Amino acid sequence: MTNMGRRGFVKGATLGALAFTVGGVEAIMAPGEARARNVPFRLLDAHQGETLEALGETLVPQAREAGIAHYIDQQLSVPPHEALLQARIFNVRPPFADFYRTAIVSIDESSRRILGRDFAQLSAADQREFVGRMRQNKIEGWTGRPGAAVYAVLRADAVDVVYGTMEGYEALGIPYMPHITPEKRW
Amino acid sequence: MTNEKVDVVIVGAGASGSVYASVLAKAGKKVVLLESGPDWQLTDLISSEIWGRRVKPAGAPILLEGKNPMAYAAQGGWGVGGAALHYYANFPRLLPTDFRMKSEHGRGHDWPIAYEDVAPFYDKVAREIGVSGDARAEEKWRPAGEAYPMPPMKTFRNGNIWLKAFEASGIPMVPAPVGMNSVEFKGRPACLYDGWCHVGCPIGALANPQVTYLGEARKAGAEVRAWSTVTRVLTNPAGTRVTGVEYYDDKHQKQTQEASVVLLAAWSAQNPRLLLNSATDKHPKGLGNASGLVGHFMMSHHVASTWAMFDEDVQNHMGTIAVQYMSYERYPKKSHDGAFGSSFVTAGFAVKTTDLANSRADLYGPELADYMKRAARNLAGIKTFGEEQPNVENRVELASEKDEFGMPLGRLIHSFDSDAVALWNANFEEGLNVARASGAKEAWSARGTMPTSHLLGGTIMGTSAANSVVNSYGQSHELPNLWVAGPGIFPTEGASNPTFTIFALSQRGAERMASQWGTLTN
Ligand SMILES: Cc1cc2nc3c(=O)[nH]c(=O)nc-3n(C[C@H](O)[C@H](O)[C@H](O)COP(=O)(O)OP(=O)(O)OC[C@H]3O[C@@H](n4cnc5c(N)ncnc54)[C@H](O)[C@@H]3O)c2cc1C
Ligand code: SF4
Repeated sequence: MTNMGRRGFVKGATLGALAFTVGGVEAIMAPGEARARNVPFRLLDAHQGETLEALGETLVPQAREAGIAHYIDQQLSVPPHEALLQARIFNVRPPFADFYRTAIVSIDESSRRILGRDFAQLSAADQREFVGRMRQNKIEGWTGRPGAAVYAVLRADAVDVVYGTMEGYEALGIPYMPHITPEKRW
Repeated sequence: MTNEKVDVVIVGAGASGSVYASVLAKAGKKVVLLESGPDWQLTDLISSEIWGRRVKPAGAPILLEGKNPMAYAAQGGWGVGGAALHYYANFPRLLPTDFRMKSEHGRGHDWPIAYEDVAPFYDKVAREIGVSGDARAEEKWRPAGEAYPMPPMKTFRNGNIWLKAFEASGIPMVPAPVGMNSVEFKGRPACLYDGWCHVGCPIGALANPQVTYLGEARKAGAEVRAWSTVTRVLTNPAGTRVTGVEYYDDKHQKQTQEASVVLLAAWSAQNPRLLLNSATDKHPKGLGNASGLVGHFMMSHHVASTWAMFDEDVQNHMGTIAVQYMSYERYPKKSHDGAFGSSFVTAGFAVKTTDLANSRADLYGPELADYMKRAARNLAGIKTFGEEQPNVENRVELASEKDEFGMPLGRLIHSFDSDAVALWNANFEEGLNVARASGAKEAWSARGTMPTSHLLGGTIMGTSAANSVVNSYGQSHELPNLWVAGPGIFPTEGASNPTFTIFALSQRGAERMASQWGTLTN
């Protein structure tokens, strides 16, 4: 076999942070940075982005700032076999965008019916309560994929952006110890 | 387009296909492996929970149904190396009782071979690719064999912390055998205990196909064609022999690869899907399917995970993703009152952030954030794998919906029966008792959806076409030059992780194929 060397010797990662489009030019940056720089979404509209941010933040604090919506948006724009989304592991059939779009519609429909406004406009306490019921499939009249599945996939994505990065490990005090370091700390 | 005829075409460059490729290429055969995914290199194995997802299937062409649908993507592989590119390399073996289920218990099937037929191949595989463990310690439960070529792996507090409680519960734990290097082995370095195995070990400390069988096969001249998806096995007009396969290349062009022998090594659901899709007027139910059993008796393991939070720092970032300790004490099929089947008890493993979050899947918001901080230092786990009995209703069939190549999707229907559920519950109860005896501050069972781990059956072995699809070597009862490899040929599953047995059976089958070559090609 080829001797790949010990930890730290291998710098083979050609894939780093994600490719975002800024002013028509592709730039590589972490999703949190893309959010901070107001990079336009590729596929999501503003409302979908806002809903994913609100949902992500309810599931995992700091997911908004970590760029959950930009992360999902960018990942939906690449071919499914290149996507890093947890939808893949949960056996969601591509195109993955269908899953997220339907989830947002189901959430907003229920939110409007029960609480009179879109999910993103609810108070943090109401968002939290709503997500708790969604997790247990306890929202009456819910349509589309089961609430528990929406909870599991979105929670997993939010865990990724907040905890799955090198910064996330650092924040938890867990030594990262990579063999092949993800470029730009991804 | 037609390619030059080869001796053997292997469908799938994963665990089982790699063994055949190595043995046959070294025996001088011209071997081509067709693999539907990319040709992963060690440099692709980025140490990241997020980037590691690239090496998993995305939207596999299998519909997942039943009461307990298979966790297909989490359990599967895609691309050169298959699932074994990123497996955990836990290498327990089956025990003699697994081969005699029908005669000992009147349940499931007997294998057409005994433990003793496979045992020399366990030893051979261990010598070939390297296994670390303590064979003598295991021999309190199984017949003696060769010592493993490497001493056991290092252990850490997240494993050692359980030992006293297991002992008090009457479950002796011994070092777990793993396909990883505790010391340098055949030029491959020793493990660094950083726990990145599940996204692939790029230094070669873990026995993935790239650094073992497949590397050897390539050296001996085997050709690997990535991005090549096989859709049909072809037969001669008389329907007496297979002649090759049809596949689609990276440009979605249809190609034909003729071969003297066809080996299906595309994992347990894809192999029957291919056989069923290869029906002809001579084989109207699909190839090798006179028994009507192609696609039936699909099996999976259930897993009872027990988690506990300790006061002390258990260093859960240290170790490998494989387990440190194991026990066959609950392997006898009637170990638990009111339940049936083997259980394989394990403890101690490194965890990453996904595991930390999944260990309390009910938590979200500030409670999750708080939990993650505590779990990062203080969480440790026990996992008990349990056996499911073969059930003819658990099956793969063809769906009416088609994939991108016009091939019908597979439909994999899987439900655990009441025996499996009872065993899962018994294993939870025992796990919780052990955790409570360990001095943990909190302990809980990770219930929720009943997990499915590993996928077996669908092309089971047996004595004849009346009761099975292939013989004990993986050779079709009906078409002598059509062979099948992998966990799909297991007629019962035991509770042990399957891949050490997959390698052993593949080594045995490949040697048989090479030694009987004259009878296959005339
Ligand atoms: C995360 C994880 C952890 C695991 N841990 C363990 C463990 O600790 N111990 C253990 O014993 N087992 C473990 N396993 C299971 C182990 O990896 C499998 O049992 C083993 O790889 C199965 O071998 P196989 O040859 O049948 O299939 P694979 O190794 O999956 O290879 C099949 C290959 O066929 C290809 N293929 C499929 N269809 C086609 C087609 N139509 N045309 C061309 N190619 C095709 C696939 O892309 C794949 O590469 C683990 C698996 C996973 C995913
Ligand atoms: S823990 Fe060991 S086997 Fe696993 S990835 Fe690291 S070096 Fe490889």
